[in-house]
Amino acid sequence: MTTPTHTAELGSQRAAGWIDPRGQRFAAGITTVVLAVALVLQNPWVLLFQALVFAVSVAAGPANGPYGLVFRTLIRPRLSPPLDLEDPRPPRFAQLVGLIFSVAGVIGFAGGIWLLGLIATGCAVVAALLNALIGYCLGCEAYLLGRRLLSSRR
Amino acid sequence: MWVGLVALLSAVVVTVAVAGYRRRTDGRFRRVAPTSPAGRSDLLRLSESDLGRPLGRDATVVQFSSEFCAPCRAAERIITDAVAGHDGVRYVDLDSAHRMDLVRRLNILRTPTVVITDRTGRVVTRTVGVPTKQSLHQSVQAALSAGVSR
Repeated sequence: MTTPTHTAELGSQRAAGWIDPRGQRFAAGITTVVLAVALVLQNPWVLLFQALVFAVSVAAGPANGPYGLVFRTLIRPRLSPPLDLEDPRPPRFAQLVGLIFSVAGVIGFAGGIWLLGLIATGCAVVAALLNALIGYCLGCEAYLLGRRLLSSRR
Repeated sequence: MWVGLVALLSAVVVTVAVAGYRRRTDGRFRRVAPTSPAGRSDLLRLSESDLGRPLGRDATVVQFSSEFCAPCRAAERIITDAVAGHDGVRYVDLDSAHRMDLVRRLNILRTPTVVITDRTGRVVTRTVGVPTKQSLHQSVQAALSAGVSR
């Protein structure tokens, strides 16, 4: 895997601000646990905490979000260098989708609309768990579907 | 609290089902019926003007990508490798957001979706997700022979 062309490619990816995909998987794992706790306790405060984490990750970029920082300072120094880097735009967009769902969940649990809270948080758990387990990005897929919906209304 | 536990359990079951289904089907090409359900076979034929560049002489591999799509790059790498040996096979990578007409015509729901056409532009096989090397190879061969038999 570490051919000269590959090394050069990694260098240019790093220069373009690409990030370690393992950081995303790690962040998705923590996100899943936090969302699961919020869902089981139906607790708006736990969910609000996760919503804030999503918001910071969207604003600062996924590698600089709270969980991304934990990965970089505590985990990554113990790992071998990444074989591949990843464009940060898809996970960033997914964090935005996560933010929308968790805010909906907060409104649901805090406002007594339990069904909204359960469904919104449940969807967020599915997306985070899929990301943590097999690296799928459901939020990214929502992008194309959203574009299709928007353009069909015109 | 039990309501929350049931909700969490449902979410986990849904996740495992989705992950299992996709693991089995993603990246494996399936034949496309010669006519669409409405009987409009012309909908499943891609032309030079659809693609914005000429079709491959023998077959064309068309990938639908999008801006927020990490696996699209992996797909690009695999397809570029696979078509390198065939000069009659052209690879076209389209940004779905700019080609919503084609996205709707071919009913594309997620990226990457990869379709392979024969030399006339008729869509022969398609898949979603990153193509497996073996399935891609077989499908290119199938598209080549589909073009010959017409």
